[in-house]
Amino acid sequence: MNASKLLTTIAAACMSFSVLAISLDDAKSQGLVGETATGYLGVIKGSSEVNKLVEEVNSKRKAKYQQLAKKNGISLSQVEVMAAKKTFAKTAPGHFVKVDGKWVKK
Amino acid sequence: MKWMLTLVFAVLVSACTHKVQVETKEPITINLNVKVDHEIRVKVDKELDDLFSDDSELF
Repeated sequence: MNASKLLTTIAAACMSFSVLAISLDDAKSQGLVGETATGYLGVIKGSSEVNKLVEEVNSKRKAKYQQLAKKNGISLSQVEVMAAKKTFAKTAPGHFVKVDGKWVKK
Repeated sequence: MKWMLTLVFAVLVSACTHKVQVETKEPITINLNVKVDHEIRVKVDKELDDLFSDDSELF
């Protein structure tokens, strides 16, 4: 009984991850969200669903950045700068990045 | 005479070793700092790569 309960929880967690990944990809390709120079996602065209997604992803990113900063003895802002460079480089053509306060299609 | 020669020699040798130590100390410390900084940069860069991998929910 307990084992199946655990399995269900794990399966549910996996499914919710994949749903989130798809909607983040969708939001990017529909031009609703983009990468900012701070290392976090920005909202281009907001809705309650998009805002919630961005908030969720950004808080998870921040937790990871903080963990990385602590582990390597550097500041959070140093990690954020490195992360921003990385996300800009990884952003696919057709998706948006924010340069000098303006949204630009890559 | 022999004693004095030994003494002078000892002073010369010790003076030389001291000079060498002082001169080599600084560059080594600086090089080490640069190396550590670079290593951390590479390490964090790699971990960010993993964080933003294709199947990641965060990118």
